[in-house]
Amino acid sequence: MKIVGIVGSSADFSYNRLLLQFIGRHFGADFDFNLAEIKDLPMFNQDDDQTNSAPVQELVQVIEEADGVIIATPEHNHTINASLKSALEWLSYKIHPLDGKPVMIIGASYFTQGSSRAQLHLRQILDAPGVNALAFPGNEFLLGNVKEAFDDHGDLKDPKTISFLGTCLQKFQRFIKMTEFLNQPEAEVLPPEDLKATGTIDTTIQGVDKSAPDWVEQAAEVAHAVDGKTYVRLNRGILTVDQLNYFLASMPMELTFADSNNQFLYYNQQPDTGEKMLASRNPTQPGNPLINCHPERARKNVEWVIQQLRHGKQDVIRMHVPTHGPDKFVVHNYQALHDETGAYKGLNEYVLDIQPIIDWYLQQTGQKLVGDVDAVSGASEKSGPAKPAVDGVSGASEKAAAPAKPAVDGVSGASEKH
Amino acid sequence: MDKFIGLVGTNSSHSTNRQLLQFMQKHFADQATIELVEIKGLPMFNKPDPDHKQIPAAAQVIVDKINAADGVIISTPEYDHSVPAALMNALQWLSYGVHPFVDKPVMITGASYGALGSSRAQAHLRQILDSPELKARIMPSSEFLLGHSLAGFSPDGELLDREQCNQLEGLFKDFLTFVKITKQLNHAHESNAKEAANFSWEDK
Repeated sequence: MKIVGIVGSSADFSYNRLLLQFIGRHFGADFDFNLAEIKDLPMFNQDDDQTNSAPVQELVQVIEEADGVIIATPEHNHTINASLKSALEWLSYKIHPLDGKPVMIIGASYFTQGSSRAQLHLRQILDAPGVNALAFPGNEFLLGNVKEAFDDHGDLKDPKTISFLGTCLQKFQRFIKMTEFLNQPEAEVLPPEDLKATGTIDTTIQGVDKSAPDWVEQAAEVAHAVDGKTYVRLNRGILTVDQLNYFLASMPMELTFADSNNQFLYYNQQPDTGEKMLASRNPTQPGNPLINCHPERARKNVEWVIQQLRHGKQDVIRMHVPTHGPDKFVVHNYQALHDETGAYKGLNEYVLDIQPIIDWYLQQTGQKLVGDVDAVSGASEKSGPAKPAVDGVSGASEKAAAPAKPAVDGVSGASEKH
Repeated sequence: MDKFIGLVGTNSSHSTNRQLLQFMQKHFADQATIELVEIKGLPMFNKPDPDHKQIPAAAQVIVDKINAADGVIISTPEYDHSVPAALMNALQWLSYGVHPFVDKPVMITGASYGALGSSRAQAHLRQILDSPELKARIMPSSEFLLGHSLAGFSPDGELLDREQCNQLEGLFKDFLTFVKITKQLNHAHESNAKEAANFSWEDK
């Protein structure tokens, strides 16, 4: 956990700076601690926007990198120092790096008050909409009579004070963890998915057991499905069923069609070359409700993917599946299907290894991948904990061990940055 | 006729608080002289050399003006629920080894673009002016909050809202009385002045 301590004074010597330095030394084992100064910041002035100046941006950066902020404030004229207020004005004018950031207020003063009134003002200021920080409630740490409080090494002398400070800091760290929940985007509750495909839609072939191993043959008979040299009119063109099959089999990817009733209807079976499919399918699977194709542990994720597509939250969901080893960049794509009116008609899962494409392209253009190879093969680490590689249809992936909320790489921005 | 300082509580070149003070200057010209004073350009207060407490020349100019005045009107905007840093900064300089505000009658006004009219900044400002090193005589139980101030003035600087104008006129009359009364509230002046003078930034 990273915590930055901001010295709320621009004086050359400040006991508040000393207090923060002590925190860094004494409690440094509990969290990464950085000290930040405000004394080089210019006075806030609307006429002369210096949001992009180096001192302001440096402060912004340490705040953005930190999980929590401690502000140590002196008290001048019953309030906080003008330089601290000015810094907060920069941090609330064009940019808002403290928005949603947990902030703990502490303060040291020479006399008995220990910056009590300044701390209350600061709390109100942090509450202002432009700042919108999450001020840590309670646990007020006021260090009065500060001249007697430190020994020659700059360490607090009173063990009780140190112990109380430690308690406050411990609770602050827990508060920081709580605010992570608060800062998460609202998880929208979408209607559950019927993965058993118990319903019927206008294209459902009725009277055939969806789980039957020969569903294709049975259903073809019931529905009088055409095959062979029969022409099918398409948008835009005419092919025979045979041609359509050749065409789909030639696609350099594994295609799977599941309808809006969550019934697995089709995959582009390839000629058997002895090579293992990237997401294995077998000829008995078409017709199955999606629930049949997935182990229990993967079902939550499958449901989430379909919910996203059905309700238009995302149009494509992609995830890389690293379990095929370092020589393959396997990507599972889930693309929503829509009719002419935009209604959800099911999903197209296409699975492919993009490495040959990348290699070929790099070779042709004389370029090469540089730097962080992880950017291609392991991007998942950045977007938070427990990111499962979900296999929506086949459930082959071992990583899909049912977290409550799958953090899947959505194209439209599931990997939010705080 | 009383002589007042109108302290513009911001360093911004566009300020409806400045406009409000300019309006008061004109509107009350027959009752008092109001000189507008700007706080822009003062360096950031950093408690230099606590033993000698030198203040910048620009701050000293303001100190002398306030010393010579019968009262001060401060008009403050509200930034982040409080007074702007620039005004805090000015008040820090104006209480660093100098004490022009001790027992000085002060009227607080404020204007804001939104509906609240700088209410929270004004409350903070009262607390600030109450501090031992400032110790001003703030006119009690009076508040002038000009909300939606961008639409508050005519092109020639007149306050548009008749009711608010009446309120301001009443408050200003009260302030003139308050200044007179304050002159009689002189029994504690010596000890106040002493307390402020003895107030050590080191001991705070």
